Amino acid sequence: MSLTYEEPLTPNLERFADALMDGRLTGHKCPSCGRVYVPGRGYCPMCVVETTDADEVEVSDRGTLTGFTIVTPVQYYGQKETQPFVWASVLLDGANSTLGGQEISGIAHDEIRSGLRVKAVWRAPNERSTSDISNRGWGSVGGAIDSFEPTGEPDLPREKYEEHIF
Amino acid sequence: MRRTSDIAIVGFAQTPSMRRAERSEVQLLVPTITEALQSAGVDRRDIGFTCAGSCDYLTGGPFAFVSNLEAAGAWPPISESHVEMDGAWALYEAWVRLQHGDIDTALVFGSGKSSPSRPSEVWPQQLDPYYLAPLGVDPVSLAGIQARALLDAGKATERDFAEVAVRSRRRAQSNPNAQVTADDDVEALLAAPYVSAPLRRHDLPPISDAAAAVVLARGDRARELCERPAWIRGLDHRIEVHQPGMRDLTTSPSTTLAARKAGFDGGPLDVAELSATFSPQELILRDALGLEESANVNPSGGPLAANPVMATGLIRIIEAASRVIAGDARRGLAHATGGQLLQHNLVCLLEGEE
Repeated sequence: MSLTYEEPLTPNLERFADALMDGRLTGHKCPSCGRVYVPGRGYCPMCVVETTDADEVEVSDRGTLTGFTIVTPVQYYGQKETQPFVWASVLLDGANSTLGGQEISGIAHDEIRSGLRVKAVWRAPNERSTSDISNRGWGSVGGAIDSFEPTGEPDLPREKYEEHIF
Repeated sequence: MRRTSDIAIVGFAQTPSMRRAERSEVQLLVPTITEALQSAGVDRRDIGFTCAGSCDYLTGGPFAFVSNLEAAGAWPPISESHVEMDGAWALYEAWVRLQHGDIDTALVFGSGKSSPSRPSEVWPQQLDPYYLAPLGVDPVSLAGIQARALLDAGKATERDFAEVAVRSRRRAQSNPNAQVTADDDVEALLAAPYVSAPLRRHDLPPISDAAAAVVLARGDRARELCERPAWIRGLDHRIEVHQPGMRDLTTSPSTTLAARKAGFDGGPLDVAELSATFSPQELILRDALGLEESANVNPSGGPLAANPVMATGLIRIIEAASRVIAGDARRGLAHATGGQLLQHNLVCLLEGEE
């Protein structure tokens, strides 16, 4: 049994996807509280006010790893991963919402820690895709950004990111 | 259940229904909830209880209803609940919750985007998984069986069905939220081919995306917020056996019972808004409710003009309540339905104060 769903991206995600193909990360800044959501959602869930293209801002492709899980895959039916991998949340500089489910590269798993400063490893422009972005969930950047790698900067102190560990 | 407390509808809002909304379900809800709260003059932080009705199968997003909650503003934390049912049942839960007496306002919303999915795939999943779901029996096929039963029982003709459609689409012309409006000729409609015999295209509802929201208030708070609140004099819902083959599809005893339990005594009604999703169902519901031929049924156009599943029933309540609040109606009845072929029915009796 399967169910078919077809839905065009909402206009705000369409713009987010276009920017991602250009190597830019964009979000919406709430005109009421100033929080920046990446991707923009078309509204601020804290203030319940609508946001539009006029509230669009660009954020950095550098940020801080705020939380992570190292997943050791069990070979259940459909599992494609074979080696342990990282599932991390990254708070981009200039954003108030984290990007979840990011891969972390360029560092041994046992050295990964919250507070680690990271930067995006962009895929080559001709290898980028935004086909994994859908209206369901909270957006994805995996088709354009391969992973995040350490910048070498000192770790961010806990109090600067502890509200964003999810 | 009869009224055990004075609870009224004091504010509402709905989006127009459309075949394919560009916005996501939560994006449809944000302005709708905001407008409903504004129409009642209530700040969202003052709402005592929030209840939503939606169906994740339609949007195809697990826990999509959690995202929807963002449109109500869930920070600071709120007291809320969700039903995987039409928003009319969310209103029922909020109505029950208000009767506890410790809060005096509630927010209710119902939303659905049918456009991303294929109704013929999704809806068989609500049938039993052994006999009917594997056959892929969809709502249009089921409605055809029901219509055939009506014809065979001599209770209606195909012309009766077409007349319901003509009236609905004609009345929808004055409803800015309607999706299908027309000034049709019965003969022309009857000349059209069958879609699911004996049903033709005009007997079927459109596929719709929309959202709706209602603000409820109790007692003096209701009078404070609204000049002429639409008082809920009775609200009840009753359900029949799940297997459609075990029911007389030409009747709706659960609607009759719900109406009686809601306190509807057959007295005069200024408006009746019925969730008759297929044209034959209006005839069944009129009969089940004992409505007179001249009754003012579905002045909005009803579900044949706009059928945003999971909001359709709540919109019936809004359409009846709005006429009471505006002073155009003193007594109104709204009906909502769930399941297949009028399996589960809710009746809401509304009155304005003299």
